[in-house]
Order: sequence, then C-alpha cells, then structure tokens
Amino acid sequence: MEIKTTSKDNATTLSLNGRIDTATAPELEQAINKVIDGGQRKVLLDFAGVTYISSGGLRVLLATAKKLKNPGDKFGICALTPEVLKILKLAGFTSIFSIYASEGETLAGW
Amino acid sequence: MPAGNDQLVSLEWQPLPGAGGATIFPLIRKIDTVSSNSYLIQTPDAIILIDPGGLPVQAEQLMQVVTECRAEKERPFFILLTHAHVDHFIAIQNTPALAVAGAAVLMVQEEGAACLERGDAAMTQAAMFNTTIVPIKAGFQLVTSDRREHPGEPVELCFSNGALATVTAFPAGATSMSLNRETIVFGPDSPPLEVFHTPGHSRDSICIHMGELLFIGDLLFAANPGIAGLVGWSQEDLIRSLDGIGPLLETKEISLLCPGHGRLIPVADAQKMLALVKRDAATLADIAEFNPDRAAEIATYAEDIMEQVNQLFTVMAGRLYYVSYVLDELEESGTAEELGTLINGDDIDELLDAFRTFSEEHHKKKGVSVHLALKAGQVIGKLQRTFRTDELAHIIDPGIVRRTERLLADYITIFRGFTPPREVTVVDLSSLIGALVGGLTIPPLSSDAVFSSADDEKAFARVLLSSIGTRPLLEEVNVGIDNAPDPLFVTIDRENFIDLLTYILEDLVGKGSPAIRIAICGSGSYATVAISGTTPSSSAGCESRKTDRFLAGLCERAGASLAVSHGEDTRNTYTIQANRVV
Repeated sequence: MEIKTTSKDNATTLSLNGRIDTATAPELEQAINKVIDGGQRKVLLDFAGVTYISSGGLRVLLATAKKLKNPGDKFGICALTPEVLKILKLAGFTSIFSIYASEGETLAGW
Repeated sequence: MPAGNDQLVSLEWQPLPGAGGATIFPLIRKIDTVSSNSYLIQTPDAIILIDPGGLPVQAEQLMQVVTECRAEKERPFFILLTHAHVDHFIAIQNTPALAVAGAAVLMVQEEGAACLERGDAAMTQAAMFNTTIVPIKAGFQLVTSDRREHPGEPVELCFSNGALATVTAFPAGATSMSLNRETIVFGPDSPPLEVFHTPGHSRDSICIHMGELLFIGDLLFAANPGIAGLVGWSQEDLIRSLDGIGPLLETKEISLLCPGHGRLIPVADAQKMLALVKRDAATLADIAEFNPDRAAEIATYAEDIMEQVNQLFTVMAGRLYYVSYVLDELEESGTAEELGTLINGDDIDELLDAFRTFSEEHHKKKGVSVHLALKAGQVIGKLQRTFRTDELAHIIDPGIVRRTERLLADYITIFRGFTPPREVTVVDLSSLIGALVGGLTIPPLSSDAVFSSADDEKAFARVLLSSIGTRPLLEEVNVGIDNAPDPLFVTIDRENFIDLLTYILEDLVGKGSPAIRIAICGSGSYATVAISGTTPSSSAGCESRKTDRFLAGLCERAGASLAVSHGEDTRNTYTIQANRVV
C-alpha cells in the first residue's frame, strides 16, 4: 500500500492507495501514529485509492478515532469507493467519524 | 522404530517392522493433491516401490536410491500402485528412468490396469488435474477375477525382465476375511506381501500388507469433501471395504498404517479414524459425481461466495469493534474486552487473505478448478470454527450471523456433492416484502425494553449490547414500495428469497443510495419485483460482477430469476421474476 502524507490548512491528509489488509494495516497504523505523535490533531484519510478494507483496517480506524476525540480534534475519511463505504456503513462506523466526499470539502469544513 | 514408537524416518533405510529381511525407505510428504507418499521396500529377492507419486523430482530421487540398491545387489524391480490416480503414478510417465521398458514390473489391481491401458483420463483423475496421460501397460495385474476361480492355488509368474513371483488368490468369504485378497512371494528369502482389494475411493484401490505395516492408499480420505464422488468412487464399496479393514487390523499384527498422503498412523488411532470415515461415508448417499465440470462450477461458486463471506465477516468483526468502542466510551472496558473472544478478526483476515492470494495465483497460472474448490473448502471449514454464532447473534444483527452461517454451510453442502435444502412454498409477495422492509427499518429493541431490563444487571447488559450492536439497515434510507393492487402469490423458497432481498438492500444502502424504490407487479404467469436505487458512484468491475453472479445463483436457489442493470447514471436495478400462482 502506498501512503502519501501532505499537510495544509493545519490538517494532515494521508492519501492511501491499495488494500488495507493483514499485511498493510500495521503500516497504516504506524503512519497515522507518526502524524499524531508529531502533534497533528486534524487528520484526514483520503480513501480514493483504497479498494478493500479488512477487519484489521477497521480496528486501525477505531484506534485513531479514540486518539482524536478531544475538543478541537478532527478525524475524517474522504472519497470512499462504494465497496469500502459499504463495509464502513454496515459495520456502523459512519456514526463514529465523519465521511466526506473529497479532501477539499473536508478541509473547507474544518 | 527409529523415529519413535509410532513413526518411521522419512528418506532413510530402516528395518520393516515384523518383516525379517525386509527394509523400508519411506518418502513422506505434506498432504497435497499433487503427489502421494512413496514407500520403497527391499528384500533379498526384490525391490518394490509403492506409489512413485506425481512429481518427476520425487521419482528421480527414488530412482537414485533404487539404482544404488541394484548396484549393491541386482534384483527385479516392481512398482506397485495402491490405485491408479495420477498423484500416485504419473511420475512413471514423466521420469525417464522409470519409463525404460522392462526396467520395472508395474503392479496394479486389474481394473486400474485396464484404466491405464486405455489411458482413461476420467478414472485416473488426469482430466480433473488437467494432466495428459499416455496409455501404460501393467505387467502384473492384481486381485484378478481369473485367479479367484482357483482359490488357494499358487501361480508362478515370470516377467519379461526375468522377475519371478508366486501369487495365490483368496476370494472374499473363503476365509474370515471379507475382502478379496492375494498373497505374493517374490522369493525364498522374502516375507510375503498381501494385497486386499478395497474399492470405494476408486474401483481399483488396494491395501498392501507386509510385516506390521498396512499401506492403505487414500482410504482414510475417501469420504472427504472434494474427494468423495470422484469418478470411480462408490459409497457402497467404500463402506464394505471399511468393514473389511476393521477385522484385518484386529487379526493381523499391524502396528502402523502407511497412508497415501501425510504422516503414518498408529493402529489405535487408525481404528478411530476408520470409524469416523465410515460414519461420514454413511451420510454420502446419492452425492453428485465430482468431475471436472462440477469442479469448475464449484470453483466459480467458491469465488462468488468468498466475496460475500469476506464482506459479512468484516462487517461482523467491525460491528463488534464498534460495540467495544461505545462500551469503552461508557467506561465498560471489561465488557468490551470480553467481546473480543466472540470473533477472532486476525485469524479471519489471515484466512480470507490466504484464499485471495491462492485465487490470484490460480488465475495467473491457470490452475485447475479442483484446487480452488478444495482451498475454499479448507478456508470455509476453518472460518466455521472462528466465530461463536449464538453469542454473536445476541449482540449484532442476528440476520447477518445467520446469513453467514448459511453461506458457509451451503458451500460445504454443495462441495460434498449435495444440493442445499430448498423448501418451495406459496407466499404473498407484497406481505413478505412489506414485513421485511418493516423489520429492517425499526430498531429491534424498543426503549421500553431497555428500561424494563434496568433492574436486572445481566439482562440490562445484554439489552445494552444488543441495542448498540444492532442497527436497522434501512433506518436512514427512504424506501418506497409500489404494491400490486391485489395480493400477488408466488412459489418461492422463502428463506433464500428473504436473504436475496436483504443482500440487494444491503448493497444499495451500503454503497450510499439515499432512497430505494421497490415495485411489485404481476403479469400473466409471472410476478416481478424491481428494486432500484442510485449510488453516488459506480462499483469496481470484478467485485461487482462476482456479487451479481452470487445474487443470480441465490435467486435461482430461491426458485426465481434475476436480471441486474447498473446504469451509467449509477442507477442500479435488480429485477426478480418469480412464478405466480394464479
């Protein structure tokens, strides 16, 4: 999985490309933790290139939501493919964190 | 025994227990469908190779050992097949040293010999594994009907390479044995070798007895899914053979069973295993033949359902994580931790990944369907053991748990050669759909139920978990139903039909359709249900195709037919046509 990290408007976006599965979920977790440990409290995951998410990937998302729940913190996911959106919706995750159409829409709202 | 009390050492010569003068060189492989174990035996009078296997590299390794033995003392060389399936013998064809005319005498039960002589791709399973076979002539046919006509009379056989053997036939019933058998003696200093005809796995299957060892070929696997039903398989014969082997283990001094695949089995364990094989075999009446066409169908079905299985397991695990998250928020972290024991997400992810990797390799290398079907069977069997269904169904939507269970069970049923049960009844389409949509819209637990459980700590915890874990699928979606003016009765399998509608609704809701329209109408002898919704973007091709194919198959099992259209404007329409009862 490819992870590209960019920062603008006081937020960091991790643009992901590939599958989030047993092999790649720890890699994603590490990348997110690095951003949070660096002091960033506004994190957006751009899922435009994510074709699959496993239960391990879902756990990483929840762990991130737990870390970013203080007042002023922001955590969101944008540009979901229909397959991944389906999993997040049916698992109930869409009520934990916000889902956005695009990076632009997210950052404008934050 | 060199490797302990119940094993022989692989790839080493060692005394053959109970057979003075004979030594054995076993080649034990991990279980797969490509090649069998091989067992090389030498006596002062002969060298005998039981099952050369399916891999040229294996046969070459064995031939090197045979060459060394013959250099030490020249003796006739016999190749003996427990049965003529390609994984047990095809190395003969592909290994020059074995293929040299006259180098070895090939010994096979007479029906197997006939199959080899005509190059029978179906009976040898060459067609199943997409292997080409050339006709092979067996020099020594075993347990023949001709010799049974002269029971107890030793027959001297002389072969073109100068080998000699004396064979005596004992028909079933002539002694306490219920199996046809022959005793073969290769020379004055060699222990006798007994051959028992044990059809079932194949028509030509035999068990071979020497000293304390019994070589049983694939007898122990004969009732397994993906093996039972192979061309040449017979339930009746298998049960009779298993009945015959039992007394054999009790009357002969056998300590170890040498199977065609996997490690050796001490006789006490073998008796239990044979009883289980017989129990399984008894349930296999009227199973469908497992031939290459059926293997291809099952492999396609496996890929389609694995897509759904993947989604269902990820959703179930996700729901549990979600419940844990909410409980953590409520400072109930103890209960949250307990939930982790209900489903092992890591194990599930690994199993699903293993199948996906296998499937990708399979398509890349254009593998044979039976391998994919077997892999799916293996993964699904393990998945069935990874989640605690009853307890899960108390916490998350029981409909998801039940559908997952049924999907896994249906695959195993089909894989075993049966048709999943189907119960066609007459139902009123409008009432059924109305009730389903209602059930998927209203939360299963009312606030009254939560309050009334407040006095009982356990009941409250259970209600709380369930109210967090169960979310009505259609709670945030606008569903409109255009009913037919009058009741519309159709003949369908109710359970499969409800599952079908649920999968379709889940797909539309999950992919973000804000509204769903269900139109029910009747025309002539048919009733039609059209379910449509508009998703924000279109789905990826391959997964979407697999889902559509899965839904079409499920619809067929429900007794109806399905047409799916994914419009360019991201409008998806599922049209189901069922037989109307006028």
